[in-house]
Amino acid sequence: MIMSRNRIALFLSFLSLTLFPAVSWGIVDVTDNLELEGYVKAQNIMRASGLHDGELIQQRNTAQLEGKYYFLEDNKAFGRFSTGPIEEATFTFLARGVYDSVYDIRDSYEDTDDKGKSEYKVREAFVDFLMPPFTLRLGRQQVVWGETDNFRALDVINPLDLSWHWSRESWEDIRIPLWMARGIYDIGKIGPFEESFFELIVIPWDFQPNKVSTDPRHPWAFTGAGLAEIANSAIIGDELFDLDLTIRDIRPDRKLRNGQGGFRFKGILGDVGVSLNYFYGISATPGIKVRGDLTQLNLDTQTLSAVVDKVYPRTHVLGLTANYSEDRYTQSVFRLETTLTKGIPVSIAAGAPIGIDSDGDQYDTVRQSVVMLGIDRPTWIKLLNDQRTFFISTQFFWRRYLDHSSFYQGVSSVIPASIGGEVIADRFVSTNTNRLDRDEFVITFSASTSYGRAGRWKPQFVFAYDPRSTGAYNKLVLEYLWTKHIVFKAEQHFYWRESGSEQGPWSLGDLWGEAGNRRNETVFSATFQF
Amino acid sequence: MKQRAKLQAKFTNGTHHLWTFLRILMAGVLLWLAAPSYALEDQSYESLMKWIEDSRPGAETVMPGQHLTEKDRQSLLEPLIPHSAWKYYFFDGMEMEIAATGHYPAPDAWGENMASDYKLDEEGTLVGFTGGGFPFSEINRDDPNAAQKVLWNMLWRPGSNDYNMPMVTWLRSEDGSLDREMEYTSVNTTYARGDKSLVPGYEEVKSKKIMEFRSPRDMAGAKNMTIEYVDHYKEDSGWLYMPAQRKPRRTLASERTGEMMGMDMIREDLNGFGGKVYENNWAYLGKRKVLATVNVSDNPEIGGPSLWVPHKTRWEVRDTHVILIEPKAKNHPYSHRIVFIDAETYWTHWMFAFDKEDDQLLRMAQHFLKYSESYATEPATQSSYVKQDFSKNIGHKVFMHLGETDINAKKPHATITHCHVAKRDFTPARAKQFYSLRNMISGRR
Repeated sequence: MIMSRNRIALFLSFLSLTLFPAVSWGIVDVTDNLELEGYVKAQNIMRASGLHDGELIQQRNTAQLEGKYYFLEDNKAFGRFSTGPIEEATFTFLARGVYDSVYDIRDSYEDTDDKGKSEYKVREAFVDFLMPPFTLRLGRQQVVWGETDNFRALDVINPLDLSWHWSRESWEDIRIPLWMARGIYDIGKIGPFEESFFELIVIPWDFQPNKVSTDPRHPWAFTGAGLAEIANSAIIGDELFDLDLTIRDIRPDRKLRNGQGGFRFKGILGDVGVSLNYFYGISATPGIKVRGDLTQLNLDTQTLSAVVDKVYPRTHVLGLTANYSEDRYTQSVFRLETTLTKGIPVSIAAGAPIGIDSDGDQYDTVRQSVVMLGIDRPTWIKLLNDQRTFFISTQFFWRRYLDHSSFYQGVSSVIPASIGGEVIADRFVSTNTNRLDRDEFVITFSASTSYGRAGRWKPQFVFAYDPRSTGAYNKLVLEYLWTKHIVFKAEQHFYWRESGSEQGPWSLGDLWGEAGNRRNETVFSATFQF
Repeated sequence: MKQRAKLQAKFTNGTHHLWTFLRILMAGVLLWLAAPSYALEDQSYESLMKWIEDSRPGAETVMPGQHLTEKDRQSLLEPLIPHSAWKYYFFDGMEMEIAATGHYPAPDAWGENMASDYKLDEEGTLVGFTGGGFPFSEINRDDPNAAQKVLWNMLWRPGSNDYNMPMVTWLRSEDGSLDREMEYTSVNTTYARGDKSLVPGYEEVKSKKIMEFRSPRDMAGAKNMTIEYVDHYKEDSGWLYMPAQRKPRRTLASERTGEMMGMDMIREDLNGFGGKVYENNWAYLGKRKVLATVNVSDNPEIGGPSLWVPHKTRWEVRDTHVILIEPKAKNHPYSHRIVFIDAETYWTHWMFAFDKEDDQLLRMAQHFLKYSESYATEPATQSSYVKQDFSKNIGHKVFMHLGETDINAKKPHATITHCHVAKRDFTPARAKQFYSLRNMISGRR
């Protein structure tokens, strides 16, 4: 329940944003060489699991400051030191402070560990050097490869922070920047290629996994299918045991041997933009090794002490992308991305044959391929908008386990513990009857346009659908650019499924459209930008 | 009796004079009431065509040094401002400074290094031309391809590229309120330079352009690169880098009819006509003298009740070629487009596009230009966010595009842009590096 004083706090925080003085500035020029920009944003999310209920689950207040310092221009640093072949250099930083006031204003969040409540970080800080035909970016940064939007295939260099709103935010804001060096050598024309370049990425030590909350008290915790609870029990035979689970995070340490890196060659072949990519990385999604050798069953205390290791296997990602602007017949841009990844961690069901689970730890790594075909098309729908086109973008994403077994497990579920058909209060067990399909599909569609005299009303429609599980996700967005500085945005997210109970891998309506775990949301944000 | 007859005659005569006077007065009042309101509100294609065909004033109707105001409208201005624009350009308090019609020489070597084996094909498309001069030195009004030839001269005019151009754009409603303000910079370079390309090996490229937004923040860092090809049948190549995506995205060049970024223009409106010649039917409407902001001293003050049009700035009477463009596509928003292109410099001064639904004005544009040699005596204003060396402009003998006003008559709404242009010469090596896909894979953030 929300306390009345907290409603006042909510109102005041909104008011403080909207009444912010509308000073007329864009990017702030601190000096001739230093520019600042950024924003302050309040985002409120109401979650409704049904028609008649709703709860405030997020009140995220963000301040972001971005700066660029042009310290080397025309082969001179700071206007006086000759830098030889280095023509230009800049220093860029992006710092973010976050305070989610919902953790303070809701009674039910009082006993959480405050993880996700605040964040104060210099997210990105890098120096760009231009030494034609070579450019070098050194520092903490994001690197995005590939043609796919919002699905992981080639865009795997930076891990994601899925802890505060899963992947439903702009990925720019949820990628976890890493310390790395990115060098690009411009080639231009070579053989049949035009506009070609070669890119090399080295991440010497900085490995970070995807950030996922598993604490069910957090609004965007990933607790699998079933109940938003922690499994605290195990049933062996017909007996109920307390479950004491120890999770050991075997994260690669900051040593050069745990470095990552990759390269990309990109160019235009004929009229087709193509790239060949390779990335030698570490899986940001951990695998779970069940340590049977460390598991103990204490009959005196009726406790099962289990140990699992979170491990991060090495991955090899080989990818090929293409794009083509077909102007004559379809007036569309076609995008293609294919990858072959080795080292994807999978869980194996207990009791699998030794040929499938040779180490007996319910863990293995497999090869996986991805094919994504996307189409972008600016399209006239004059009935709906006679001034501007709709930008329509659709993607077909096919993921295939090249090594597949019917023992490979998908998402687990937490269910109430029951003995002899009798449910035991406050006792929950983890179960997993979900098996990975060899082939996984998802289709996405989005349409956006703008209305109003200066195009300041910007609606967007997003739809994702998994044809196997029939899980779906819809997002309706309306953004209003009220002034140069103030932007309002309202969003409605729906998770639903057409039929059945099969679990898919994409976290759509098959997972978050189910009763008890439904995450339909209304999002309202106000941003002051400069 | 004689006296009476004389008085009656006098009275009759007086009545007649009075009646005549009243009739003239009434006609005058009616004309004053009816004619201007008709003229102001009528923005049909027919009325502009009639204006083009009707009076053809000489330059001598206005004199250098004159400051024309609303009272000079009927006698001097109406014949020189295209009819469809009267509604916006004539207003209480308006002021136009008239300058002598200038002669603006082209660059020194202009036309000396051109390829000679080029031609117009049956679609009116220029084939085999690689720049370095105007493809057509003379325009003959009886030539069935005269309109296309004027257009080709416009598309290959000197000074159309090779600069840094920081810009500020204001999007204003009819009541003058500011709906949006944008800052962005365009940098572009001509590759095709007659008998050679700026970058050897890139002979197929006509020009390359990179444009980057600076504000507002929801657009800051967005940049696009466009490659235009010598072969007019080959569509442009384009990539758009959005900071939120952190990667470039291939764009479709052939969609040119939707409004861009909320502005009151479509891509095909750029410089009067930025589309494909073979997608249209063409007609040459002859020459017409118009007033143009052809060599303004600086970015003009913007005035009028809506703050849409240049005010208190310098105008010249210019001879223009008038061309009529009719899109072939049935779903094109325009029925007709009429463009006034300078007969000496081949820069576009005025553009009017009419709605396919009713043949009324849909969009119009008017351009502000400054001759490079004028920078020697009249320095221009710097943009608010970058300082440039305008002295480099002197000696190029080309025009600088100092801005334009684009009006959507149906909304109604306008986009007014001020450009702060500094000539920029790229070395082949620097051009190769700057205008590269490599430069598009990362951005401001």
